[in-house]
Amino acid sequence: MERLNDFYEAVSDTGNYIRNLKDGGKKVLGYLCSYTPEEIILAAGIHPVRLFGTEGNITLADAHLQSYTCSLARGVLEGALSGELDYLDGMVFPHTCDTIQRLSDIWRLNTDFGFFADVVLPVKLNTESAREYMEDVLRRFRSELEEGMGVTITDGALKESIEKYNRIRGCLKTIYELRSADPGILPGADVHAIVKGSMIMDRDYLLERLPEVIEMLREKEPSTGAERKRIVLTGSICNHPDVYAIIEKSGGVVVWDDLCTGSRYFEGLTGTDGDPVKAIVNRYIERLICPAKHMSNTARGDSLVEMVRKNNVQGVIFLLLKFCDPHDFDYPYIKGFLDREDIPSMLLEIEDQLPSEGQLMTRFETFIHML
Amino acid sequence: MITAGIDIGSITAKAAVLEDGRILGSKVAFTGYNARQAGKNVFEDLLRELDMDASSIEKTVSTGYGRNSVKFADKAMTEIICHGAGAYYLNPEVRSIIDVGGQDSKVLTIDSDGRVKDFAMNDKCAAGTGRFLEVMARALESDLDDFGDLSLKSDKPSKISSICTVFAESEVISLISKGKSREDIIAGIHESVASRISSMARRVGVKEPVMMTGGVAKNIGVVRALEKALGVSIEVSEFAQVNGAVGAAIMAMRL
Repeated sequence: MERLNDFYEAVSDTGNYIRNLKDGGKKVLGYLCSYTPEEIILAAGIHPVRLFGTEGNITLADAHLQSYTCSLARGVLEGALSGELDYLDGMVFPHTCDTIQRLSDIWRLNTDFGFFADVVLPVKLNTESAREYMEDVLRRFRSELEEGMGVTITDGALKESIEKYNRIRGCLKTIYELRSADPGILPGADVHAIVKGSMIMDRDYLLERLPEVIEMLREKEPSTGAERKRIVLTGSICNHPDVYAIIEKSGGVVVWDDLCTGSRYFEGLTGTDGDPVKAIVNRYIERLICPAKHMSNTARGDSLVEMVRKNNVQGVIFLLLKFCDPHDFDYPYIKGFLDREDIPSMLLEIEDQLPSEGQLMTRFETFIHML
Repeated sequence: MITAGIDIGSITAKAAVLEDGRILGSKVAFTGYNARQAGKNVFEDLLRELDMDASSIEKTVSTGYGRNSVKFADKAMTEIICHGAGAYYLNPEVRSIIDVGGQDSKVLTIDSDGRVKDFAMNDKCAAGTGRFLEVMARALESDLDDFGDLSLKSDKPSKISSICTVFAESEVISLISKGKSREDIIAGIHESVASRISSMARRVGVKEPVMMTGGVAKNIGVVRALEKALGVSIEVSEFAQVNGAVGAAIMAMRL
């Protein structure tokens, strides 16, 4: 859509976008996962940019990684080694999956971007000790950032940053809700560009731009055309805008997702009263979890079933990044929740490149025909 | 009502003509470079054999990877749906179908109405497909049509451990140079194919009765190896290779 060109440009040439931003004097920190406390980074006056891998061939990273490493980790390390990410002033590694933890070591030993921090988060999120521990970890990250980047992060700045993120996340959720109410008003590829762009672009710009997008959607005439089967995507990250168009071509439409580059990024608002670090911890503890974390034995399955019911969804597509262990190990168990509720699902394993369109169409068409 | 199904696979193109759900005839031809032309040719050849005119066909459904290149079809549907419909037509009791074609293999389950309930499909890799067997036949200088009978004569199948088709071929070459018998090597190749397909089948969950379809179902050695690997008996109809085209013609009746 022409009116979303700014998002598409930032997504398709992130290097160019970030370099322009840096010309204005900004420092930039890279991150990989939705457990990165972005609020603290922004409060330090630093621009957080999420990394999604590389579109080029992997030639340098494989010398450092095992063949069972996901394409995201391989792509990001490739970008670091090849110079594609030379705009970074540092990198933050929240410890979620094993691969990110190990990538952090390899990064520290083989690259030199200036700032580097591990944020060693707890795995179990449902205990009081986890809450206390996470609070300590975030406070430590805050002081490491202050020291490493030569800045001071006041509680006031942190609260202001939290409010900005609440507004950005609220806007993304509203866009999802409008799309779920009438999927015809916004193609899936556009939603993908908006969400991905929101992890790349200047956050102050987004605060003005996202409400405009919402306004534009509200002004649209209700869509007409053939009824499509309503689909939820679930998995780690989706870096493939083409997936949405192929699903749409096969007679379906994505109306919601449980993706790290989707609802897991924007679900849950952070409290604005009291200690801001405690408030950030609370959001992580209450938010929909990723399978690298533990909340309860049924939290992920129950929330997926609830997402399906709430959005009137006919089928679920698991979009799993090959070699993403946390998601792969959880798959049979999560599929069990759907099977028990008679919710049809299909599994698609993806890497940095999608399978051929013919293969994908065969799967999607069959699945959508089943619904 | 007379309907036709055209199934354009990666190696062969198939056509079937049905009258009120009765198979009047079917035909198999090589797909070659031009999938569009292959579909037209196999259909016209079949009509000629049946002494029929294209105008007598009321509805046509195309299927297979080349389904969208069959311009004269009324509708294109995936081969997974059509193999389900074809197997259900041949035996309505069937609940699982293992379809092994030229470059892909699929496992699907159907319900008591013949609707697809779940499916899995190989990707990125030709191990466990007809192409894998063709490569091995070349390395063994054997006719693929003899593979089934030869392998049944083996009492000590060789072990082929590589999944990659190219590496498996080198393994076969070293087995030949070690003087292993053709029968044992072929039986080993079939076990290797069966192990690939059976692990995919277990992901979907095999429900009996099981039917095997696709060109590779003509190879009795693979069928037996799969029965052993899955611990079930597998039925194969005389229409196994054209099952997708038959299913497409069945789907055409519902248009």
